[in-house]
Amino acid sequence: MTGKVLHGPRDLDPFAGDLPRLDDALSRRIGADPENVQRGLAQLVLTIVELLRQLMERQALRRIDGDTLSEEQVERLGQTFMELDKRMAELREEFGLDEEDLNLNLGPLGNLL
Amino acid sequence: MIELYAITDNPGPPLPDLAPLGALSVDGLAAVYGPASSGEVTPEALWRHEEVVEALMEDRDLLPVRYGTCLEDEATAVRAVAERRADLAVALDQVRGAIELAVRVLLADERPAAAGPELSGAQYLCAKARSASERESAIRTLHEPLSILARASRQASPRAPSEPLRAAYLVDRPAVPAFTALVSRLQDANPRLRLLCTGPWPPYSFTES
Amino acid sequence: MSTAIAEREVALVDLVDRLLGGGVVIAGDITLAVADVDLVYVSLRALVSSVATAKEKELLPRMGDAL
Repeated sequence: MTGKVLHGPRDLDPFAGDLPRLDDALSRRIGADPENVQRGLAQLVLTIVELLRQLMERQALRRIDGDTLSEEQVERLGQTFMELDKRMAELREEFGLDEEDLNLNLGPLGNLL
Repeated sequence: MIELYAITDNPGPPLPDLAPLGALSVDGLAAVYGPASSGEVTPEALWRHEEVVEALMEDRDLLPVRYGTCLEDEATAVRAVAERRADLAVALDQVRGAIELAVRVLLADERPAAAGPELSGAQYLCAKARSASERESAIRTLHEPLSILARASRQASPRAPSEPLRAAYLVDRPAVPAFTALVSRLQDANPRLRLLCTGPWPPYSFTES
Repeated sequence: MSTAIAEREVALVDLVDRLLGGGVVIAGDITLAVADVDLVYVSLRALVSSVATAKEKELLPRMGDAL
């Protein structure tokens, strides 16, 4: 097959995938065997949690932009979100899920995230 | 077991030679299929599948089917396609004469990831705000002008702070050179970003009607 | 890394995105698991539109108040 790169920088490395992760993604997304049902459920739940996390973070950034929040409040907000981010990463790791796995196709509504 | 490759018009040109293929007709549509591939899903298997779809794409319009769509037999496939016939026909019309181009944008200078115990809460939020504004800026300066040259576009959800934009564009076949020329000009105008454009791809991102 | 190999690897990322994340979805004989998930998709649709409306009307929790 002819090359697919129509335009790119001289050093393509940053755009190349992480091969081990790709293999993971491939084997995970194919196959709907019953073992995956539990993972599928975790996937759904974590996607909703991720949606809420993103909404809250976005809301917080908007408040920080607009309001007069004290340095201490901003710091506490940031710490909370960092902690939340870390917990999400741990949960994803526990269920063998990628960041890209936490998304849902809602048909005509497009993707959730 | 059979595996589906694409939905095309029916009737259409003869099927390409490079794999054992058949076409199931459902009214004005055809589902192109082959024997289900056993074995591992490897990059090579993906490329082989893609080669078939792209060979089809050379001389006809099509809707590519998601990889790994295996059905029990021809009858099952005909039933499944017939159920969705109306939507598929509309979707096929929407991609007629166009292909998909992929664009990814990375920040040229790597910044340390916004995570880790050394970061203060304020620094974390600052980094988040910065990625958000870099994303908004990429949308304004890159996605919007590119979208003007495309019939339709889709933006992926944010992947990483270092990747402010990842998008797919449905571009009329004759407009592809102008599109890639624009990518090149946008790259020149934005030295702090790295732009990548790949394609042509079958319209995977534009199959929803 | 040679350009040809690099180009192939780079293209693979975009290929995987498309083959596994895009394309027409045709479910043949639906398994029970997939059918259950479909139901959840329907209620998520309701969740998304109600969240979108709540955002519009500024009904989402105000971060400052919680501090």
